[in-house]
Amino acid sequence: MAELTLTDQFTTIFEAKTGSKEGLSDFQKGSFEAFNTLGLPHRKSEAYKYTQIARILEKNFSEVSVPLETSWDIAEIKERFYPVNEANHLVFINGVWKSDLSEIKSDANHLQISVISESELDLLGKVSNSSRDPFAQLNGAQFSGGLFFKAARNSDNIPTFIYHFLDAENTSISFPRILIDAETGSQTRVYEKTFVNGDAAALVIGMLESKVESNASVRFTKLQQYPKNVYAVEGIYASQDKDSRFHTNTFTFGGAVIRNNVVIDIDGENCEGHMNGLYVISGNTQVDNNTAVDHKQPHSFSNELYKGVIDENARGVFNGKIYVRPEAQKTNAFQSNNNIILSDSATVNTKPQLEIWADDVKCSHGCTTGQLDEDAIFYLRARGISKVRAKALMLTAFAVETLEEVKEELVKDEIESIILNKLG
Amino acid sequence: MLKIENLQASIEDKEILKGINLEVKPGEVHAIMGPNGSGKSTLASVLAGREEYEVTGGSVSYMGKDLLEFAPEERAREGIFLAFQYPVEIPGVSTTNFLKTAVNQVRESKGLKPLDAVSFLKEMKEKMKLVDIDQALLSRALNEGFSGGEKKRNEIFQMAMLEPKLSILDETDSGLDIDALKIVADGVNKLKSKDNATIVVTHYQRLLDYIVPDFVHVLYKGKIVKSGDKNLALELEEKGYDWIKDEEGVEA
Ligand SMILES: Nc1ncnc2c1ncn2[C@@H]1O[C@H](COP(=O)(O)OP(=O)(O)OP(=O)(O)O)[C@@H](O)[C@H]1O
Ligand SMILES: [Mg+2]
Repeated sequence: MAELTLTDQFTTIFEAKTGSKEGLSDFQKGSFEAFNTLGLPHRKSEAYKYTQIARILEKNFSEVSVPLETSWDIAEIKERFYPVNEANHLVFINGVWKSDLSEIKSDANHLQISVISESELDLLGKVSNSSRDPFAQLNGAQFSGGLFFKAARNSDNIPTFIYHFLDAENTSISFPRILIDAETGSQTRVYEKTFVNGDAAALVIGMLESKVESNASVRFTKLQQYPKNVYAVEGIYASQDKDSRFHTNTFTFGGAVIRNNVVIDIDGENCEGHMNGLYVISGNTQVDNNTAVDHKQPHSFSNELYKGVIDENARGVFNGKIYVRPEAQKTNAFQSNNNIILSDSATVNTKPQLEIWADDVKCSHGCTTGQLDEDAIFYLRARGISKVRAKALMLTAFAVETLEEVKEELVKDEIESIILNKLG
Repeated sequence: MLKIENLQASIEDKEILKGINLEVKPGEVHAIMGPNGSGKSTLASVLAGREEYEVTGGSVSYMGKDLLEFAPEERAREGIFLAFQYPVEIPGVSTTNFLKTAVNQVRESKGLKPLDAVSFLKEMKEKMKLVDIDQALLSRALNEGFSGGEKKRNEIFQMAMLEPKLSILDETDSGLDIDALKIVADGVNKLKSKDNATIVVTHYQRLLDYIVPDFVHVLYKGKIVKSGDKNLALELEEKGYDWIKDEEGVEA
């Protein structure tokens, strides 16, 4: 029997999916068609220049399916919850949201948490333009049991923790989907992390959309502490109305190949959009952060800070696009990507891309890639600090700057200790 | 305490130190003067263990041990302190955090328990007074954006915290205004004892009014070409280095 291509397998998965309701299934069919038209990014795709995603996936996922059963049991799952009582704890298993395993503290008047249904069709896939992202389309076609999260104006501002549990005893795939509707004036804080059982190759095709209505605030922090059998292509698409604030923080500490697509549309005046990221990677991990902020309206501010510490054979890729449309006068847009390379075989590819059509704007970008400063190491050693400690001090200081925007102490501490563990 | 014999060192195959001889005993203050580029900082760096410099000949014994065998941090733990001519800026690491690490690593090497937060702060407060340094400065990233004078003061503050046996002050006076100079010199004098020694590298006799040297040496083209007492510094101030260069010329 001829081997099936990955795309054939996607078709099999799609066709085997138990039918969703009519409206939703039309959306999913449409997405699947769009995916098939776009296809996986080809070899010469500019957007995937440094991450040959099709080749990587074809090679590692010759046979793949969504796990039907899980080896995670309830006790194990609940054990992983952050010890915070006043919080929503939401559980996904293999990409499917499980309401029965989740604990919701928020009042339904403040926060509506439900499975994505056809009532969300006016938002789903439309928050910002993901029509040319094949993985967004693939997720749109394949997801089931997506999470719809609607914060009302009088939201209670308690944090929401999202936990993904994956089964990787056999080669697997999952399609988590989250749709956030932050209504006018609401406050939302979401933290996301993933646990994996098993060491067969696991592929995550994830998608989060967030509509941030006027004067709303959404903070989203993602912890990607993947074991080395995880491959992931995860999208974050947000669109902001006037006076809103949106923060994403993405922390990546491991995995095989991780591609993050972060897109923010600033479609209102007086907005603040922040994209921060840290990748501390070693072994053969490859992390590709592809980001775009699109300033469509005047008087807004965006700031982007990505930092990387790359050791052994790891590779860090950063691409940051800033668009400032002609109408978007008085835009302030800043971006920086700083990398420290710790070994001769570590690599970094970094590329800022500014396209500015307005004339009265302040934009800046800066990319640096270097080694640890030898003079600084000597200075610290000359005070009695060992070489290892000196390096650790400098690297952790470099890395923790990206933690400033994480407001939940428990999460901050957790990430800080991961950093210390990796660099200390 | 320190005995340097015929020390030769080079960097990138360029010979900089060409046979230095110097003996420093406990309680002594030695001043090293000399024109720009003569090798003063190189000597200081070699003593502190900078690995870029290759020692090509000679020996250095410190407290009876072969100093050149030791890594920079080991030398520091054994009581050698170099106040840098150009203190390095270290982004993200506060002086406080850095010093706490340093003090505790030094203590650990001596088999002592680390200082707890309270004792460490107490110690800091005391030493801050000594060099009149501001708390705000110490919570900022180490040397980052510090003025020239603030950096130098911070060096002496670190010295006070680490209580070295042998301090090498590389042009700690440059960039200091007269008041700061007095404060720094005062600090150094207060830390002086009959058991520790100081080497001050300077271009200015002015500092030596405050930190009075027992010996003054002139380093020129990688060699100590003249030694004397504090009057040598006065003479240099008056006549410049030309007469020494001339004497050297005659000898060569
Ligand atoms: N990393 C290096 N590479 C090449 N040459 C160097 C290096 N470091 C020092 N040198 C050279 O060694 C010589 C001595 O330098 P050093 O800094 O020791 O002089 P110095 O006596 O301290 O001068 P100053 O009074 O200006 O501080 C100079 O000619 C300098 O250019
Ligand atoms: Mg010098």
